Amino acid sequence: MRLSPPVRAAAQRLALPMLLFVSALLMILGKADIFVIDKTRTAVADALAPVMEAVAAPLAAVSAAVARVEDAVAVFRENANLREENARLLQWQEVARRLAAENASLRDLTKLVPDQSATSLSARIVGDSGGAFLRNVLVDAGARDGVVRGEAALTGEGLIGRVSEVGARTARILLLTDLNSHIPVMIERTSERALLDGDNSNRPRLAFLDAKTPIVAGDRVVTNGAGGVFPPGLPVGVVSGVENGIVRLEPYADLSRLDFVRLVDYGLGGLLPQSAIPPPRAPRAKGRAAVEAEK
Amino acid sequence: MARVMAPRDSGAPGRVVPVLSTFVFVVVSVVPLHLPGFAAVSPSFALMAVYHWTVYRPDLLPQGAVFVLGLLLDLLTGTPYLGASALTFLIARTAVLMIRRHFVNRDFTVLWLGFLGVASAVFVFSWALVGMLSGHMLDARPVAFETALTVAAYPVGSTVLVRLHRAFLRG
Repeated sequence: MRLSPPVRAAAQRLALPMLLFVSALLMILGKADIFVIDKTRTAVADALAPVMEAVAAPLAAVSAAVARVEDAVAVFRENANLREENARLLQWQEVARRLAAENASLRDLTKLVPDQSATSLSARIVGDSGGAFLRNVLVDAGARDGVVRGEAALTGEGLIGRVSEVGARTARILLLTDLNSHIPVMIERTSERALLDGDNSNRPRLAFLDAKTPIVAGDRVVTNGAGGVFPPGLPVGVVSGVENGIVRLEPYADLSRLDFVRLVDYGLGGLLPQSAIPPPRAPRAKGRAAVEAEK
Repeated sequence: MARVMAPRDSGAPGRVVPVLSTFVFVVVSVVPLHLPGFAAVSPSFALMAVYHWTVYRPDLLPQGAVFVLGLLLDLLTGTPYLGASALTFLIARTAVLMIRRHFVNRDFTVLWLGFLGVASAVFVFSWALVGMLSGHMLDARPVAFETALTVAAYPVGSTVLVRLHRAFLRG
């Protein structure tokens, strides 16, 4: 495009304010949860997933090599630990078998309807927000693999978050430490309900706890099933301590070293309309409402 | 490091290196690093590229490109505040343009100190901006940590950029 010199000079002078204005406008529009923005975001993630995988591969190789050296150093001590743990787990296995049998016979007695079977798939993490303001990860499984928005994301240790965006071949998981993550949980020992609020720190805080019951560091925290986002009883973490009246939780899963995650569909998304699943950006009010409704 | 003369370009292909390398740095910013002992926060490589090219070749990383690349970073990180990085990068570019004459043809230490100032300002600004948009007073510690990490990793990013610079551009 050819512009006459004065027009071009004016355009150049206006370009910066225009671009700044557009940025600000986008920030405001983005807050309003515009469908097009979500679409664009997933489309960009889908398109760039191969590039990100290509960049991630050599980095993963380096870190695997370092890990192997570390493993070799630790192998003797670890071996002894594993033997010990194995002996302990065998005892637990016996207990579990006995309980499973007992459980089955009791279920039979009470004609209890079994839990809905969950379907799960594993995905590799290809992207990490990495910034100080966000806690989310991008995985290489999407709608074509059957990932649905709202699914629980877990590692072997416990819950890490939920699927907040689904593209064709990628999905974004909002980690439970993110500022926008609010998960209904309960203290397993006391069955007391709370909301697990992320604040971008490594240890999310437990809000709306009833102050009457004492909370002890080390208390197990599990999901409570309110709001139909997660089934009750998924392990989340342990209470790490109380500082200045704020109860914080140490997640079971090491969120800084995620490699593979399991995305589990408990069939709950189908029971509720999509609008009932808290969207990632405005979940606070809805999460609270869900807790209130349960009471 | 990087003694830079007046712009004299080798040829057309090299002129896309600033935009292309900044694009790659944006992608690297969101790739999980998995380095041992590395926390969830990773350095902002994108900012390093924007800084480097704005100091040495602002003509080859125009504000339109900075805007688009900032937007791309926001889309990739999945931030609810789309445009925040675009805005921050544009302001950083404008600020660096005003002071770049103090950095060109100077020692690497000066360049690094300049980056320390720019990165600190950028992160404090983002912290205030995101805090305002989210309506929360954000914990400043992760932000301070990311700033430190980004500044500490600058020599790594800078080495790569200087190599590319020398290989493809003469000025």
